[in-house]
Amino acid sequence: MAIIHQTAEIGHVAEKQLLTSREKGTRGQWWRFVLILLITIVTLVPVAVVLFLAFTPSVTSTTSGGFTAENFTSVFATTDVVLWLQNSLLVTLGTVIVSVIVAAPAGYVLSRGRSRAVSGYSLLLFVFQSLPVITSVIPLFILFANLGLVDNLLGVTIVYVASAMAVATWMMAAYMDSIPISLEEAAWIDGASLFRGFVQVVLRNSLPGVLSTAIFTFLVAWNDYLVAIVFLRSAVAFTLPLGVQSFFQQNTTDWGSVMAVAVVMMIPPVLIFVLLNKYFSVGGIGGSLAGQ
Amino acid sequence: MTTTTAPSTRGKPAVAGQRRRRFKSGTSTLFFLVLPSIVLLLLIHGFPLIQAFIQSLHNGTLVDPGPFVGLQNYIDNLTSATFWKAAGFTVVFTLVGVFGSWAVGLALALLLRTRIPAGGIFKVLLLLPWVVPIVVSSTAINWLVATSSSPIPMLFANLGLAPPLFLADPTWAKILVCVFKVWISFPFMMMMSSAALASVDETVYEAARMDGATSQQQLRWITLPMIARSTYISWILMTIFCVNDFPTIFLVTGGGPIDATNTLVVLAYRTVFQNQQVGPGVSIAFMMTVVLVFISTLLYRQIRKAAI
Amino acid sequence: MSDLRIPDVSRRGFLKATGVAAGLALVPGLAACAQSKTQTSSGGGTAGTLKFWDMPWAQDAYNKASEAFVAAYKPAEGLPNAALQRIQWNNFTTTFSSALASKTGPAVSSGGGFQAFQFADQGYIAMADNLISTWEKDGFRKDFLPGTLEAMKTDKGYVAVPWQTDFRVWWYRKSLFDDAGAKVPTNWDELMTAGEALKKKGYFGWGDGAGAGNNIGAHTMVFMMINNGGGLFTPDGKLDVLNERNVEAVDFIIQLVKAGISDPASVSYTTDNHLAQWKNKKFAFGIYTAGLDQALGEPSGADLLAASPLTGPHGDKAILAFGNNIMMYTNTPSQPGSEAFLSYYIKNMKTYWQQGVVTGLPVLQSIVDLPEFQKSASNVKVVKEYQPVAKTYGTRSTQLFAAMAQVDGSQPLAQFTQSVLGGQTDAKSALTTLQQGLSTIVKS
Repeated sequence: MAIIHQTAEIGHVAEKQLLTSREKGTRGQWWRFVLILLITIVTLVPVAVVLFLAFTPSVTSTTSGGFTAENFTSVFATTDVVLWLQNSLLVTLGTVIVSVIVAAPAGYVLSRGRSRAVSGYSLLLFVFQSLPVITSVIPLFILFANLGLVDNLLGVTIVYVASAMAVATWMMAAYMDSIPISLEEAAWIDGASLFRGFVQVVLRNSLPGVLSTAIFTFLVAWNDYLVAIVFLRSAVAFTLPLGVQSFFQQNTTDWGSVMAVAVVMMIPPVLIFVLLNKYFSVGGIGGSLAGQ
Repeated sequence: MTTTTAPSTRGKPAVAGQRRRRFKSGTSTLFFLVLPSIVLLLLIHGFPLIQAFIQSLHNGTLVDPGPFVGLQNYIDNLTSATFWKAAGFTVVFTLVGVFGSWAVGLALALLLRTRIPAGGIFKVLLLLPWVVPIVVSSTAINWLVATSSSPIPMLFANLGLAPPLFLADPTWAKILVCVFKVWISFPFMMMMSSAALASVDETVYEAARMDGATSQQQLRWITLPMIARSTYISWILMTIFCVNDFPTIFLVTGGGPIDATNTLVVLAYRTVFQNQQVGPGVSIAFMMTVVLVFISTLLYRQIRKAAI
Repeated sequence: MSDLRIPDVSRRGFLKATGVAAGLALVPGLAACAQSKTQTSSGGGTAGTLKFWDMPWAQDAYNKASEAFVAAYKPAEGLPNAALQRIQWNNFTTTFSSALASKTGPAVSSGGGFQAFQFADQGYIAMADNLISTWEKDGFRKDFLPGTLEAMKTDKGYVAVPWQTDFRVWWYRKSLFDDAGAKVPTNWDELMTAGEALKKKGYFGWGDGAGAGNNIGAHTMVFMMINNGGGLFTPDGKLDVLNERNVEAVDFIIQLVKAGISDPASVSYTTDNHLAQWKNKKFAFGIYTAGLDQALGEPSGADLLAASPLTGPHGDKAILAFGNNIMMYTNTPSQPGSEAFLSYYIKNMKTYWQQGVVTGLPVLQSIVDLPEFQKSASNVKVVKEYQPVAKTYGTRSTQLFAAMAQVDGSQPLAQFTQSVLGGQTDAKSALTTLQQGLSTIVKS
């Protein structure tokens, strides 16, 4: 970093540079705006396709041209979209809540704990995160079948929680890393137990971390296809990914209806992201992973 | 426990000279805090792992557990052309996926740090590819490129160029799948880069500007080194995501055409669920996992050492 | 660190939250009692309930018809009622095998064409011999079309009862042939000539699709091999891919591809894309399942018509068909109950054809004779001309066996189909790769 050593040299040269950079800034602003606009448009083409097809009358309808919401009305009336939506919401909310409850204390340990055991736990998380679901799917199915957890939403929820566990724990740990331990130390001096310190001090201040974790686990549970298709059989238990797929298969060229269901599947995660994105932070994972 | 009012060093990247605090007491409480997580992990990941390993030592089908064959499945994999072809594409897919998404993500993160009208809206819109369910986006891709009357081939035709067979030609299918993966992954990289960039001290840039450093020099000598650790971590995470990624490829090409877009995880799935050969399929998944874990752990330890 | 404070989370509050979470987790169990618009299950009878698993055999109308059909079953005294559950085609073998392995499977089910043979090897299937002998006594057995019932026989007995046949049929679009001035082919040479004439007008004389999830392509390959007197297996079930007739057949297809008679993008066509090409009048001639006109919503006998089976270069006439069947399992609350239900099913399934909700073809003569069935010209033609020359998957006999389940939809077969349709290979090398790929599967 040789440049830093030369910081002593400040003169009217620097002033001139500041001026030109400000001018450049304004012109540059519009260039950058156009650039990013183009990039965003290209990036969103597939999303636009889905919206376009969903609002266009399908080949089997009698409406001509223009945009219409009739695909949605027909899809809500004749298919199980509402049921799939319900199931997906239930499973996802269950996953989010249980994940946060399990990952928060685990993240605390990862953040505050320093021992070989904790490093071992961190490594365990890391190894399990690297496993592809396919290795576990069949043995897991048989285990769950014996426990009666197959073909119902509870079993699927448990699997999702475990799938998201590693990253959720890292996210919580990362956030907790940014809470100075001095606050807990103050609480301990006042006679609080470790657990109380955790709950009163750390948890109370971890809302952004909790939200980050919640958003991440939401996506894991909402979008999953492979686990759902192996574990869920009855149409009453279908989550949206399964419902959407089965709908595709049964209505081969009816893009309008198919995309209408796809839009329904897209809305909740997009909504959550739009509303809560300022809380969502993955940056701390790096620190938490490397800081052990 | 020590009493101190000195500011904590937790959370900040470790700088030479400052020790990290160590926390030793209350181990039993810590144990109980982490217990639910461990139980869940062992039950859902650990137990099936052992079962799966046993399955890989047998030559069973979905219906029939099959005879014990020892390591024969693993040996067959090492001598199978299909296996190595899939391994090769896994490497290509991962490299393009990781570095492609990182480059795009970083570029966008840098761009978004400057003042742009409606920058906040762009930030959210650019997250959409990661948020949109893959079942939905893969269908959109099929609609866009599948037949000669689909929009993108028609666009090519209207421009007077011969429309490529995006899904039918092996090379184009590979390109399509890699581009799709970059599309899905760049938002994650963008978020990680953003967070890392935000933690870099502004004053360093100011000093560099005073010295007449160009943007390119600033990028190369200040930005990149200062976000290095987060960058390496994001590479490792994205590598894991890419190697294990099944739906992105399977929903678009099914592993074809002519096995061109088979990665190891797609091949494992097809062997288990299409050929119904559970033993051989699971052995492929295992081999892939072992290599992945080995490489990742190595890199991960390197980063730990480098950081301190 | 933010200044945000969440409400005081005391230990009590923490436990309360856990309780809420546990409660929420239980709710999904309750939600499973919700009613679905596309599926109902009839309640249990006094003597227990028979689980009947059925696949989505056609469009939504079939699903509704089958629910009504099962609900209408009134068992005799002391025999169980039947409850229908719809199983998706996706990974259905995993669904069935894991269910059977954990003893949560059905008592009776429809399913894949070779499924019964696979599961019989593992002892999960209850043989239908008893049921069939009762049909011999009351004369019902005569109603089965020749060959359909016999195809279900193995050394251990009849593993299932056929209910519909899934034919692979030659289809052609009359308007495109008229436009190109081509003649509908009756043998392979004519197929080539017609293809070339059609090509001049931009139509494809070999309409096919081999993309993700689309089995038609692979079936087409095997179809042509069988049509030429070849096949994947010897009559006694040994893998025999590299024989002369197969090489000839594959060679012919590659010639079609090279001549531009086949759509180069077929390699990646999903079922959607495949049907779209038929609908959009790009495909003029090709193989598909029966009832293509129905699937596309076109009136029967108008433009989309079934052609007669083609004669191969050596004079062979053969087509490929899959015998879909209903099987009984050993894990049943009552074997007489299963048989009674199956008997009801087979004797009354004509309602599906009367309502016109299935695309598969019947196995009973009485259904063929129904006026509703006779209305579809293509279906009548298929039963008349295709049934007599129908061969099952990949053999030169009519026997079926377990390994076929692994071959159908397998990755070597998919890869083989795609490489042939891609036209970049020759018959011998493609077949050799296929032989190698299949031999690792079939031996296991």
